Amino acid sequence: MSQRKRGEMHVMSQRRASRWADIGFRGVAAVCSAMPLVVLAAILAVVVAGAMPSIRYMGWRFITDITWNLGNLYGAISVHGGVRAPAGASYGALVFLVGTLASSAIALVIAVPVSVLTAAVLAYQVRGPLQSLLSFLVELLAGIPSVVFGLWGILVLAPWVGSQLGPGIAHLFGWVPFLGGSAGTGLGLLTSGLVLALMITPIITAAVRDLLMQVPRLYREGGIGLGLTSWEVLRHVCLPIVREGLIGAVALGWGRAMGETMAVLMVGGSALNQLPQNLYSPISTMAAVIANQLDSALTDASHMAVHALAELAALLLVLTVVTNLVARLLVHRVGWTAGARGVRV
Amino acid sequence: MGKSISVAGLSAWYGDQQTLQSIDIELKANTATAVIGPSGCGKSTFVRCLNRMHETVPGARMEGRVRLEEEDLYRMHPVDVRRIVGMVFQKPNPFPTLSVFDNIALALRLSGVRRRSELAERVERSLRMAALWDEVKDRLRQPATELSGGQQQRLCIARALAVEPEVLLMDEPASALDPISTLRIEELIRDLKSRYTIVIVTHNMQQATRVADRTAFFLNGELIEFGDTSQVFEHPRDRRTEDYVCGRFG
Repeated sequence: MSQRKRGEMHVMSQRRASRWADIGFRGVAAVCSAMPLVVLAAILAVVVAGAMPSIRYMGWRFITDITWNLGNLYGAISVHGGVRAPAGASYGALVFLVGTLASSAIALVIAVPVSVLTAAVLAYQVRGPLQSLLSFLVELLAGIPSVVFGLWGILVLAPWVGSQLGPGIAHLFGWVPFLGGSAGTGLGLLTSGLVLALMITPIITAAVRDLLMQVPRLYREGGIGLGLTSWEVLRHVCLPIVREGLIGAVALGWGRAMGETMAVLMVGGSALNQLPQNLYSPISTMAAVIANQLDSALTDASHMAVHALAELAALLLVLTVVTNLVARLLVHRVGWTAGARGVRV
Repeated sequence: MGKSISVAGLSAWYGDQQTLQSIDIELKANTATAVIGPSGCGKSTFVRCLNRMHETVPGARMEGRVRLEEEDLYRMHPVDVRRIVGMVFQKPNPFPTLSVFDNIALALRLSGVRRRSELAERVERSLRMAALWDEVKDRLRQPATELSGGQQQRLCIARALAVEPEVLLMDEPASALDPISTLRIEELIRDLKSRYTIVIVTHNMQQATRVADRTAFFLNGELIEFGDTSQVFEHPRDRRTEDYVCGRFG
Protein backbone atom coordinates (compact mmCIF):
# COMPACT_ATOMS: atom_id res chain seq x y z
CA MET A 1 0.00 0.00 0.00
CA SER A 2 1.40 3.33 -0.97
CA GLN A 3 1.95 5.94 1.61
CA ARG A 4 -0.64 8.15 -0.04
CA LYS A 5 -3.29 5.47 -0.07
CA ARG A 6 -2.68 4.74 3.57
CA GLY A 7 -3.09 8.43 4.32
CA GLU A 8 -6.42 8.54 2.50
CA MET A 9 -7.72 5.54 4.37
CA HIS A 10 -6.71 7.17 7.60
CA VAL A 11 -8.65 10.29 6.67
CA MET A 12 -11.68 8.23 5.72
CA SER A 13 -11.69 6.29 8.95
CA GLN A 14 -11.37 9.56 10.81
CA ARG A 15 -14.34 10.90 8.87
CA ARG A 16 -16.36 7.83 9.72
CA ALA A 17 -15.47 8.20 13.38
CA SER A 18 -16.50 11.81 13.42
CA ARG A 19 -19.79 10.89 11.78
CA TRP A 20 -20.47 8.40 14.56
CA ALA A 21 -19.48 10.99 17.10
CA ASP A 22 -22.00 13.37 15.55
CA ILE A 23 -24.76 10.79 15.75
CA GLY A 24 -23.83 10.19 19.35
CA PHE A 25 -23.86 13.92 20.05
CA ARG A 26 -27.28 14.32 18.49
CA GLY A 27 -28.62 11.43 20.51
CA VAL A 28 -27.31 12.78 23.79
CA ALA A 29 -28.51 16.28 22.95
CA ALA A 30 -31.99 14.98 22.13
CA VAL A 31 -32.20 13.05 25.39
CA CYS A 32 -30.94 16.01 27.39
CA SER A 33 -33.27 18.50 25.77
CA ALA A 34 -36.22 16.21 26.43
CA MET A 35 -35.31 15.95 30.11
CA PRO A 36 -37.29 18.93 31.42
CA LEU A 37 -40.47 17.69 29.77
CA VAL A 38 -39.90 14.07 30.84
CA VAL A 39 -39.10 15.02 34.41
CA LEU A 40 -42.08 17.34 34.69
CA ALA A 41 -44.41 14.71 33.22
CA ALA A 42 -42.99 11.98 35.45
CA ILE A 43 -43.33 14.03 38.62
CA LEU A 44 -46.82 15.10 37.70
CA ALA A 45 -47.81 11.51 36.92
CA VAL A 46 -46.41 10.15 40.19
CA VAL A 47 -47.95 12.89 42.27
CA VAL A 48 -51.36 12.69 40.61
CA ALA A 49 -51.41 8.90 40.75
CA GLY A 50 -50.45 9.08 44.41
CA ALA A 51 -53.21 11.58 45.01
CA MET A 52 -56.03 9.64 43.32
CA PRO A 53 -57.32 7.78 46.43
CA SER A 54 -57.36 11.03 48.37
CA ILE A 55 -59.15 12.81 45.53
CA ARG A 56 -61.83 10.10 45.61
CA TYR A 57 -62.02 10.23 49.40
CA MET A 58 -62.27 14.00 49.84
CA GLY A 59 -63.45 15.34 46.48
CA TRP A 60 -63.74 19.12 46.41
CA ARG A 61 -63.77 19.23 50.18
CA PHE A 62 -60.02 18.92 49.96
CA ILE A 63 -59.81 22.58 49.02
CA THR A 64 -62.89 23.88 50.83
CA ASP A 65 -62.56 22.19 54.21
CA ILE A 66 -60.33 23.49 56.96
CA THR A 67 -60.14 20.35 59.07
CA TRP A 68 -56.94 18.38 58.68
CA ASN A 69 -57.06 15.27 60.79
CA LEU A 70 -55.22 12.07 60.07
CA GLY A 71 -57.85 10.12 62.04
CA ASN A 72 -57.25 7.38 64.50
CA LEU A 73 -54.11 5.77 63.11
CA TYR A 74 -54.31 2.88 65.58
CA GLY A 75 -58.03 2.21 65.28
CA ALA A 76 -60.24 0.56 62.72
CA ILE A 77 -59.96 1.43 59.05
CA SER A 78 -63.22 2.43 57.50
CA VAL A 79 -64.19 2.33 53.86
CA HIS A 80 -65.53 5.52 52.32
CA GLY A 81 -66.61 5.76 48.69
CA GLY A 82 -64.57 2.71 47.80
CA VAL A 83 -61.35 3.85 49.47
CA ARG A 84 -59.90 2.92 52.85
CA ALA A 85 -59.09 5.53 55.44
CA PRO A 86 -58.64 5.65 59.21
CA ALA A 87 -61.79 6.43 61.15
CA GLY A 88 -62.40 10.14 61.52
CA ALA A 89 -59.80 11.12 58.92
CA SER A 90 -60.40 14.43 57.20
CA TYR A 91 -58.03 16.12 54.79
CA GLY A 92 -59.15 19.68 54.32
CA ALA A 93 -56.27 21.72 52.95
CA LEU A 94 -57.90 25.14 52.78
CA VAL A 95 -55.85 26.43 55.71
CA PHE A 96 -52.62 25.47 53.95
CA LEU A 97 -53.81 26.82 50.62
CA VAL A 98 -54.64 30.16 52.20
CA GLY A 99 -51.37 30.14 54.16
CA THR A 100 -49.36 29.52 51.01
CA LEU A 101 -51.15 32.17 48.96
CA ALA A 102 -51.21 34.79 51.70
CA SER A 103 -47.57 34.43 52.77
CA SER A 104 -46.31 34.41 49.18
CA ALA A 105 -48.50 37.41 48.33
CA ILE A 106 -47.04 39.38 51.25
CA ALA A 107 -43.57 38.33 50.12
CA LEU A 108 -44.25 39.60 46.59
CA VAL A 109 -45.73 42.89 47.74
CA ILE A 110 -42.53 43.57 49.64
CA ALA A 111 -39.98 41.93 47.35
CA VAL A 112 -41.05 43.21 43.94
CA PRO A 113 -40.63 46.95 44.51
CA VAL A 114 -37.43 46.42 46.48
CA SER A 115 -36.04 44.13 43.79
CA VAL A 116 -36.90 46.42 40.91
CA LEU A 117 -35.31 49.43 42.60
CA THR A 118 -32.22 47.46 43.63
CA ALA A 119 -31.92 46.10 40.11
CA ALA A 120 -32.20 49.61 38.67
CA VAL A 121 -29.40 50.79 40.92
CA LEU A 122 -27.24 47.81 40.01
CA ALA A 123 -27.90 48.19 36.31
CA TYR A 124 -27.73 51.96 35.90
CA GLN A 125 -26.39 53.81 38.91
CA VAL A 126 -23.25 52.00 40.00
CA ARG A 127 -20.39 50.73 37.91
CA GLY A 128 -17.02 49.07 38.00
CA PRO A 129 -15.89 47.29 41.15
CA LEU A 130 -18.84 48.55 43.18
CA GLN A 131 -21.28 47.09 40.67
CA SER A 132 -19.50 43.75 40.73
CA LEU A 133 -19.36 43.74 44.51
CA LEU A 134 -23.05 44.58 44.96
CA SER A 135 -24.08 42.05 42.32
CA PHE A 136 -21.95 39.45 44.04
CA LEU A 137 -23.57 40.20 47.39
CA VAL A 138 -27.03 39.87 45.89
CA GLU A 139 -26.15 36.51 44.43
CA LEU A 140 -24.59 35.47 47.71
CA LEU A 141 -27.86 36.30 49.45
CA ALA A 142 -29.65 33.99 47.02
CA GLY A 143 -27.36 31.17 48.06
CA ILE A 144 -28.08 31.27 51.80
CA PRO A 145 -29.69 27.95 52.81
CA SER A 146 -33.31 28.39 53.75
CA VAL A 147 -32.82 26.77 57.14
CA VAL A 148 -30.47 29.61 58.00
CA PHE A 149 -33.15 32.11 57.05
CA GLY A 150 -35.54 30.10 59.21
CA LEU A 151 -33.24 30.12 62.19
CA TRP A 152 -32.64 33.83 61.86
CA GLY A 153 -36.39 34.27 61.51
CA ILE A 154 -37.04 32.46 64.78
CA LEU A 155 -34.24 34.06 66.76
CA VAL A 156 -34.30 37.63 65.48
CA LEU A 157 -37.20 38.49 63.22
CA ALA A 158 -40.08 36.78 65.04
CA PRO A 159 -39.39 38.40 68.43
CA TRP A 160 -39.10 41.77 66.75
CA VAL A 161 -42.30 41.28 64.77
CA GLY A 162 -44.09 40.04 67.89
CA SER A 163 -42.98 42.88 70.12
CA GLN A 164 -42.44 45.86 67.80
CA LEU A 165 -43.54 45.61 64.17
CA GLY A 166 -46.81 43.70 64.69
CA PRO A 167 -48.12 45.90 67.51
CA GLY A 168 -46.92 48.93 65.57
CA ILE A 169 -48.86 48.05 62.44
CA ALA A 170 -51.89 47.02 64.49
CA HIS A 171 -51.76 50.34 66.30
CA LEU A 172 -51.39 52.49 63.17
CA PHE A 173 -53.55 50.56 60.72
CA GLY A 174 -55.82 48.68 63.10
CA TRP A 175 -58.86 50.16 61.35
CA VAL A 176 -57.96 48.26 58.17
CA PRO A 177 -59.55 44.80 58.16
CA PHE A 178 -57.00 42.05 58.76
CA LEU A 179 -54.36 44.40 60.11
CA GLY A 180 -55.82 44.93 63.57
CA GLY A 181 -55.93 42.58 66.54
CA SER A 182 -53.40 40.82 68.67
CA ALA A 183 -49.90 40.57 67.26
CA GLY A 184 -49.36 37.17 68.85
CA THR A 185 -45.96 35.63 69.34
CA GLY A 186 -44.39 36.80 66.12
CA LEU A 187 -44.51 33.36 64.58
CA GLY A 188 -47.09 33.67 61.84
CA LEU A 189 -48.20 35.14 58.55
CA LEU A 190 -46.34 38.45 58.69
CA THR A 191 -43.03 36.92 59.73
CA SER A 192 -43.38 34.22 57.07
CA GLY A 193 -44.07 36.85 54.45
CA LEU A 194 -41.03 38.87 55.55
CA VAL A 195 -38.70 35.88 55.54
CA LEU A 196 -39.99 34.80 52.12
CA ALA A 197 -39.57 38.35 50.84
CA LEU A 198 -35.95 38.28 51.93
CA MET A 199 -35.43 34.95 50.24
CA ILE A 200 -36.95 35.86 46.87
CA THR A 201 -35.63 39.41 46.67
CA PRO A 202 -32.17 38.33 45.44
CA ILE A 203 -33.70 36.02 42.84
CA ILE A 204 -35.99 38.68 41.42
CA THR A 205 -33.28 41.34 41.69
CA ALA A 206 -30.77 39.31 39.70
CA ALA A 207 -33.30 38.55 36.97
CA VAL A 208 -34.52 42.14 36.70
CA ARG A 209 -30.97 43.52 36.73
CA ASP A 210 -30.09 41.33 33.76
CA LEU A 211 -33.23 42.49 31.97
CA LEU A 212 -32.56 46.16 32.61
CA MET A 213 -28.99 45.84 31.42
CA GLN A 214 -30.33 44.57 28.11
CA VAL A 215 -32.31 47.76 27.49
CA PRO A 216 -30.35 49.59 24.79
CA ARG A 217 -28.74 52.75 26.14
CA LEU A 218 -30.19 54.60 23.15
CA TYR A 219 -33.73 54.26 24.51
CA ARG A 220 -32.71 55.41 27.95
CA GLU A 221 -30.93 58.41 26.48
CA GLY A 222 -34.09 59.18 24.53
CA GLY A 223 -35.86 59.56 27.86
CA ILE A 224 -32.99 61.34 29.60
CA GLY A 225 -32.68 63.74 26.67
CA LEU A 226 -36.32 64.75 27.07
CA GLY A 227 -35.66 65.84 30.64
CA LEU A 228 -37.21 62.82 32.33
CA THR A 229 -35.86 62.02 35.79
CA SER A 230 -34.09 58.70 36.45
CA TRP A 231 -37.25 57.35 38.02
CA GLU A 232 -39.39 58.46 35.06
CA VAL A 233 -36.98 56.86 32.61
CA LEU A 234 -37.11 53.63 34.60
CA ARG A 235 -40.87 53.69 34.99
CA HIS A 236 -41.94 54.84 31.53
CA VAL A 237 -39.13 53.71 29.24
CA CYS A 238 -37.16 50.79 30.69
CA LEU A 239 -39.76 48.81 32.61
CA PRO A 240 -42.27 48.77 29.73
CA ILE A 241 -39.55 47.47 27.44
CA VAL A 242 -38.76 44.59 29.78
CA ARG A 243 -42.37 44.08 30.89
CA GLU A 244 -42.59 40.55 29.62
CA GLY A 245 -39.41 39.45 31.34
CA LEU A 246 -40.41 41.35 34.47
CA ILE A 247 -43.61 39.39 34.82
CA GLY A 248 -41.60 36.23 34.25
CA ALA A 249 -39.22 37.25 37.04
CA VAL A 250 -42.10 37.93 39.40
CA ALA A 251 -43.65 34.57 38.55
CA LEU A 252 -40.29 32.96 39.26
CA GLY A 253 -40.12 34.59 42.67
CA TRP A 254 -43.72 33.72 43.41
CA GLY A 255 -43.09 30.09 42.54
CA ARG A 256 -40.13 30.04 44.87
CA ALA A 257 -42.15 31.67 47.66
CA MET A 258 -44.98 29.17 47.36
CA GLY A 259 -42.65 26.21 47.26
CA GLU A 260 -40.35 27.33 50.05
CA THR A 261 -40.52 24.80 52.87
CA MET A 262 -38.05 24.95 55.70
CA ALA A 263 -38.07 28.63 56.56
CA VAL A 264 -41.85 28.97 56.67
CA LEU A 265 -42.11 25.73 58.58
CA MET A 266 -39.89 27.30 61.22
CA VAL A 267 -41.50 30.74 61.44
CA GLY A 268 -45.08 30.08 60.31
CA GLY A 269 -46.42 29.01 63.68
CA SER A 270 -47.81 25.70 62.35
CA ALA A 271 -51.49 26.52 62.22
CA LEU A 272 -53.88 23.59 62.01
CA ASN A 273 -57.62 23.66 61.41
CA GLN A 274 -57.81 27.42 61.65
CA LEU A 275 -57.74 30.09 58.96
CA PRO A 276 -55.59 33.14 59.70
CA GLN A 277 -57.65 35.75 61.51
CA ASN A 278 -55.28 38.63 60.90
CA LEU A 279 -51.83 39.48 59.60
CA TYR A 280 -50.18 38.00 62.69
CA SER A 281 -52.00 34.66 62.94
CA PRO A 282 -50.09 31.40 62.73
CA ILE A 283 -50.17 29.77 59.33
CA SER A 284 -49.05 26.61 57.61
CA THR A 285 -48.13 26.39 53.98
CA MET A 286 -48.66 23.36 51.79
CA ALA A 287 -44.96 22.71 51.42
CA ALA A 288 -44.40 23.00 55.18
CA VAL A 289 -47.26 20.62 55.93
CA ILE A 290 -45.90 17.99 53.55
CA ALA A 291 -42.54 18.10 55.27
CA ASN A 292 -44.04 18.29 58.74
CA GLN A 293 -46.66 15.58 58.44
CA LEU A 294 -44.90 13.00 56.31
CA ASP A 295 -43.50 11.22 59.34
CA SER A 296 -46.87 10.60 60.96
CA ALA A 297 -48.52 10.00 57.62
CA LEU A 298 -46.23 7.08 56.97
CA THR A 299 -47.60 5.29 60.04
CA ASP A 300 -51.09 5.28 58.51
CA ALA A 301 -51.76 1.65 57.62
CA SER A 302 -54.36 2.64 55.01
CA HIS A 303 -51.81 4.95 53.34
CA MET A 304 -54.55 7.54 52.95
CA ALA A 305 -52.55 10.19 54.80
CA VAL A 306 -49.71 9.79 52.32
CA HIS A 307 -52.17 10.03 49.46
CA ALA A 308 -53.52 13.24 50.97
CA LEU A 309 -50.00 14.68 51.16
CA ALA A 310 -49.48 13.67 47.53
CA GLU A 311 -52.64 15.56 46.66
CA LEU A 312 -51.24 18.54 48.52
CA ALA A 313 -48.07 18.24 46.45
CA ALA A 314 -50.11 17.96 43.24
CA LEU A 315 -52.07 21.06 44.20
CA LEU A 316 -48.85 22.95 44.90
CA LEU A 317 -47.38 21.85 41.60
CA VAL A 318 -50.51 22.85 39.70
CA LEU A 319 -50.57 26.17 41.51
CA THR A 320 -47.00 27.05 40.53
CA VAL A 321 -47.50 25.93 36.94
CA VAL A 322 -50.75 27.87 36.70
CA THR A 323 -49.14 31.01 38.17
CA ASN A 324 -46.46 30.83 35.54
CA LEU A 325 -48.92 30.24 32.72
CA VAL A 326 -51.26 33.01 33.86
CA ALA A 327 -48.32 35.38 34.15
CA ARG A 328 -47.20 34.63 30.62
CA LEU A 329 -50.75 34.80 29.31
CA LEU A 330 -51.25 38.17 30.95
CA VAL A 331 -48.23 39.51 29.17
CA HIS A 332 -49.60 38.54 25.80
CA ARG A 333 -53.03 39.93 26.55
CA VAL A 334 -51.93 43.32 27.84
CA GLY A 335 -51.78 45.78 24.99
CA TRP A 336 -50.34 45.20 21.57
CA THR A 337 -47.10 43.34 21.30
CA ALA A 338 -46.79 43.21 17.53
CA GLY A 339 -44.41 46.08 17.06
CA ALA A 340 -42.88 46.13 20.50
CA ARG A 341 -39.25 45.23 20.57
CA GLY A 342 -39.36 43.97 24.10
CA VAL A 343 -36.60 42.18 25.90
CA ARG A 344 -37.58 38.69 26.95
CA VAL A 345 -36.11 36.04 29.20
CA MET B 1 -37.03 81.91 20.29
CA GLY B 2 -33.65 80.29 20.43
CA LYS B 3 -30.99 81.31 22.89
CA SER B 4 -27.27 81.68 22.43
CA ILE B 5 -24.78 79.31 24.00
CA SER B 6 -21.36 80.28 25.19
CA VAL B 7 -18.83 77.65 26.10
CA ALA B 8 -15.64 78.43 27.99
CA GLY B 9 -12.78 76.09 28.79
CA LEU B 10 -14.79 72.93 28.21
CA SER B 11 -12.79 69.74 28.72
CA ALA B 12 -14.28 66.26 28.92
CA TRP B 13 -13.08 62.80 29.83
CA TYR B 14 -14.25 59.23 29.55
CA GLY B 15 -12.40 57.55 32.38
CA ASP B 16 -8.76 58.52 31.88
CA GLN B 17 -9.14 59.44 28.28
CA GLN B 18 -9.58 63.12 27.51
CA THR B 19 -11.90 63.65 24.56
CA LEU B 20 -12.27 67.45 24.65
CA GLN B 21 -9.49 69.93 25.34
CA SER B 22 -10.51 73.30 26.64
CA ILE B 23 -13.08 74.32 24.04
CA ASP B 24 -14.19 77.97 23.80
CA ILE B 25 -17.01 78.73 21.40
CA GLU B 26 -19.98 81.09 21.05
CA LEU B 27 -23.07 79.74 19.31
CA LYS B 28 -25.44 82.49 18.23
CA ALA B 29 -29.16 82.28 18.80
CA ASN B 30 -31.31 81.08 15.90
CA THR B 31 -28.48 79.82 13.81
CA ALA B 32 -27.64 76.31 12.74
CA THR B 33 -24.08 75.36 13.60
CA ALA B 34 -22.51 72.28 12.06
CA VAL B 35 -19.89 70.41 14.04
CA ILE B 36 -17.62 68.45 11.71
CA GLY B 37 -14.51 66.38 12.11
CA PRO B 38 -13.23 62.84 11.73
CA SER B 39 -14.50 59.99 13.91
CA GLY B 40 -13.31 60.25 17.48
CA CYS B 41 -12.57 63.97 17.29
CA GLY B 42 -14.92 64.74 20.18
CA LYS B 43 -17.76 66.29 18.22
CA SER B 44 -20.41 64.05 19.79
CA THR B 45 -18.93 64.54 23.24
CA PHE B 46 -19.09 68.29 22.63
CA VAL B 47 -22.85 68.36 21.97
CA ARG B 48 -23.45 65.86 24.74
CA CYS B 49 -21.86 68.32 27.15
CA LEU B 50 -24.32 70.99 26.05
CA ASN B 51 -27.32 69.13 27.50
CA ARG B 52 -25.35 67.37 30.23
CA MET B 53 -25.91 63.98 28.63
CA HIS B 54 -22.17 63.35 28.82
CA GLU B 55 -22.22 63.01 32.60
CA THR B 56 -24.85 60.23 32.51
CA VAL B 57 -22.28 57.82 31.14
CA PRO B 58 -20.53 56.00 33.99
CA GLY B 59 -16.97 57.30 34.32
CA ALA B 60 -17.51 60.41 32.25
CA ARG B 61 -16.74 63.88 33.61
CA MET B 62 -16.23 67.42 32.38
CA GLU B 63 -14.77 70.76 33.37
CA GLY B 64 -15.47 74.25 32.18
CA ARG B 65 -18.53 76.40 31.77
CA VAL B 66 -21.53 76.27 29.46
CA ARG B 67 -23.93 79.17 29.56
CA LEU B 68 -27.28 79.61 27.89
CA GLU B 69 -27.62 83.39 27.55
CA GLU B 70 -26.76 84.33 31.15
CA GLU B 71 -27.61 81.01 32.83
CA ASP B 72 -24.91 78.57 33.80
CA LEU B 73 -26.20 75.16 32.66
CA TYR B 74 -23.93 73.39 35.11
CA ARG B 75 -25.50 75.18 38.04
CA MET B 76 -29.00 74.11 37.02
CA HIS B 77 -30.56 70.73 37.68
CA PRO B 78 -29.62 68.47 34.73
CA VAL B 79 -33.26 67.48 34.20
CA ASP B 80 -34.15 71.15 33.71
CA VAL B 81 -31.22 71.65 31.34
CA ARG B 82 -32.48 68.87 29.08
CA ARG B 83 -35.92 70.43 28.91
CA ILE B 84 -34.36 73.60 27.51
CA VAL B 85 -31.72 71.88 25.39
CA GLY B 86 -33.39 69.12 23.40
CA MET B 87 -31.56 66.32 21.65
CA VAL B 88 -32.00 64.08 18.61
CA PHE B 89 -29.82 61.01 18.36
CA GLN B 90 -27.80 59.20 15.74
CA LYS B 91 -30.31 56.39 15.39
CA PRO B 92 -34.06 56.93 15.62
CA ASN B 93 -35.00 55.93 19.15
CA PRO B 94 -38.76 56.32 19.63
CA PHE B 95 -39.90 54.55 22.79
CA PRO B 96 -40.62 51.10 21.40
CA THR B 97 -43.53 50.28 23.66
CA LEU B 98 -45.46 53.50 23.05
CA SER B 99 -47.71 54.66 20.25
CA VAL B 100 -46.85 57.56 17.95
CA PHE B 101 -49.08 59.82 20.05
CA ASP B 102 -47.73 58.66 23.41
CA ASN B 103 -44.12 59.03 22.30
CA ILE B 104 -44.75 62.75 22.17
CA ALA B 105 -47.33 62.97 24.94
CA LEU B 106 -45.22 61.15 27.56
CA ALA B 107 -42.93 64.04 28.43
CA LEU B 108 -45.86 66.48 28.28
CA ARG B 109 -47.91 64.37 30.68
CA LEU B 110 -44.96 64.05 33.04
CA SER B 111 -44.51 67.79 33.02
CA GLY B 112 -48.10 68.23 34.12
CA VAL B 113 -50.14 68.63 30.94
CA ARG B 114 -53.30 66.72 31.85
CA ARG B 115 -56.09 68.05 29.65
CA ARG B 116 -56.72 65.77 26.67
CA SER B 117 -57.50 68.61 24.32
CA GLU B 118 -54.28 70.40 25.20
CA LEU B 119 -52.26 67.21 24.82
CA ALA B 120 -53.79 66.49 21.42
CA GLU B 121 -53.20 70.06 20.34
CA ARG B 122 -49.56 70.08 21.38
CA VAL B 123 -48.89 66.66 19.87
CA GLU B 124 -50.36 67.84 16.57
CA ARG B 125 -48.36 71.06 16.65
CA SER B 126 -45.11 69.17 17.28
CA LEU B 127 -45.83 66.70 14.50
CA ARG B 128 -46.59 69.55 12.12
CA MET B 129 -43.35 71.27 13.03
CA ALA B 130 -41.50 68.04 12.30
CA ALA B 131 -43.35 67.77 8.96
CA LEU B 132 -44.78 64.43 9.98
CA TRP B 133 -48.41 65.22 10.73
CA ASP B 134 -49.85 64.44 7.32
CA GLU B 135 -48.15 61.07 7.22
CA VAL B 136 -49.16 59.86 10.68
CA LYS B 137 -52.39 61.67 11.53
CA ASP B 138 -54.36 58.46 10.92
CA ARG B 139 -51.81 56.27 12.67
CA LEU B 140 -51.41 58.07 15.98
CA ARG B 141 -52.44 55.00 17.98
CA GLN B 142 -50.08 52.66 16.20
CA PRO B 143 -46.76 51.63 17.69
CA ALA B 144 -44.06 54.12 16.81
CA THR B 145 -41.85 51.26 15.69
CA GLU B 146 -44.16 50.65 12.72
CA LEU B 147 -43.10 53.91 11.12
CA SER B 148 -40.25 53.97 8.61
CA GLY B 149 -36.78 54.94 9.78
CA GLY B 150 -37.06 58.48 8.45
CA GLN B 151 -40.50 58.90 9.99
CA GLN B 152 -39.19 57.58 13.30
CA GLN B 153 -36.41 60.15 13.26
CA ARG B 154 -38.86 62.97 12.52
CA LEU B 155 -41.02 61.60 15.35
CA CYS B 156 -37.99 61.93 17.62
CA ILE B 157 -37.58 65.52 16.45
CA ALA B 158 -41.27 66.15 17.15
CA ARG B 159 -40.83 64.56 20.57
CA ALA B 160 -37.93 66.87 21.33
CA LEU B 161 -39.82 69.94 20.08
CA ALA B 162 -42.95 69.12 22.09
CA VAL B 163 -41.34 70.15 25.36
CA GLU B 164 -40.55 73.55 23.80
CA PRO B 165 -36.79 73.72 24.12
CA GLU B 166 -34.66 76.74 23.17
CA VAL B 167 -31.85 74.72 21.68
CA LEU B 168 -31.94 71.56 19.58
CA LEU B 169 -28.88 69.33 19.48
CA MET B 170 -28.69 66.81 16.67
CA ASP B 171 -26.05 64.10 16.78
CA GLU B 172 -25.67 62.89 13.18
CA PRO B 173 -29.46 62.79 12.86
CA ALA B 174 -29.47 61.50 9.30
CA SER B 175 -26.62 59.03 9.41
CA ALA B 176 -28.93 56.03 9.65
CA LEU B 177 -31.35 57.28 6.99
CA ASP B 178 -31.74 56.94 3.22
CA PRO B 179 -31.05 59.98 0.97
CA ILE B 180 -34.69 61.04 0.62
CA SER B 181 -35.30 60.92 4.35
CA THR B 182 -32.01 62.77 4.84
CA LEU B 183 -33.18 65.60 2.57
CA ARG B 184 -36.44 65.89 4.47
CA ILE B 185 -34.54 66.17 7.76
CA GLU B 186 -32.28 68.83 6.25
CA GLU B 187 -35.27 70.81 5.00
CA LEU B 188 -36.70 70.58 8.46
CA ILE B 189 -33.52 71.89 10.04
CA ARG B 190 -33.58 74.94 7.73
CA ASP B 191 -37.19 75.60 8.79
CA LEU B 192 -36.57 75.11 12.47
CA LYS B 193 -33.63 77.44 12.86
CA SER B 194 -35.84 80.49 12.79
CA ARG B 195 -37.22 79.32 16.11
CA TYR B 196 -34.41 77.33 17.69
CA THR B 197 -30.68 77.43 18.06
CA ILE B 198 -29.51 74.27 16.32
CA VAL B 199 -26.26 72.40 16.73
CA ILE B 200 -25.84 69.52 14.32
CA VAL B 201 -23.04 67.01 14.38
CA THR B 202 -22.36 65.58 10.97
CA HIS B 203 -19.72 63.60 9.16
CA ASN B 204 -21.27 64.59 5.88
CA MET B 205 -19.67 67.82 4.67
CA GLN B 206 -22.26 68.47 1.97
CA GLN B 207 -24.86 68.29 4.67
CA ALA B 208 -22.98 70.90 6.66
CA THR B 209 -22.91 73.25 3.66
CA ARG B 210 -26.60 72.65 2.99
CA VAL B 211 -27.98 73.31 6.47
CA ALA B 212 -25.50 75.24 8.56
CA ASP B 213 -24.82 78.97 8.83
CA ARG B 214 -21.71 78.36 10.88
CA THR B 215 -19.34 75.43 10.99
CA ALA B 216 -16.95 74.25 13.69
CA PHE B 217 -14.13 71.85 12.83
CA PHE B 218 -12.92 69.54 15.60
CA LEU B 219 -9.78 67.43 15.54
CA ASN B 220 -8.43 65.26 18.36
CA GLY B 221 -10.63 66.96 20.91
CA GLU B 222 -9.63 70.47 19.90
CA LEU B 223 -11.63 73.14 18.16
CA ILE B 224 -9.45 73.92 15.15
CA GLU B 225 -11.59 76.39 13.27
CA PHE B 226 -14.96 78.03 13.64
CA GLY B 227 -16.57 80.44 11.23
CA ASP B 228 -19.22 80.99 8.60
CA THR B 229 -19.84 77.77 6.72
CA SER B 230 -18.85 79.26 3.38
CA GLN B 231 -15.61 80.62 4.84
CA VAL B 232 -14.69 77.31 6.54
CA PHE B 233 -15.27 75.33 3.37
CA GLU B 234 -14.00 77.78 0.78
CA HIS B 235 -11.27 79.70 2.57
CA PRO B 236 -10.21 77.66 5.56
CA ARG B 237 -7.70 79.51 7.69
CA ASP B 238 -6.09 76.41 9.15
CA ARG B 239 -4.16 73.89 7.08
CA ARG B 240 -5.77 70.94 8.91
CA THR B 241 -9.26 72.25 8.14
CA GLU B 242 -8.33 72.55 4.52
CA ASP B 243 -6.98 69.01 4.42
CA TYR B 244 -10.15 67.72 6.04
CA VAL B 245 -12.72 69.59 3.95
CA CYS B 246 -10.82 68.69 0.78
CA GLY B 247 -11.10 65.04 1.77
CA ARG B 248 -7.41 64.43 2.34
CA PHE B 249 -8.17 62.59 5.58
CA GLY B 250 -11.12 61.63 7.73
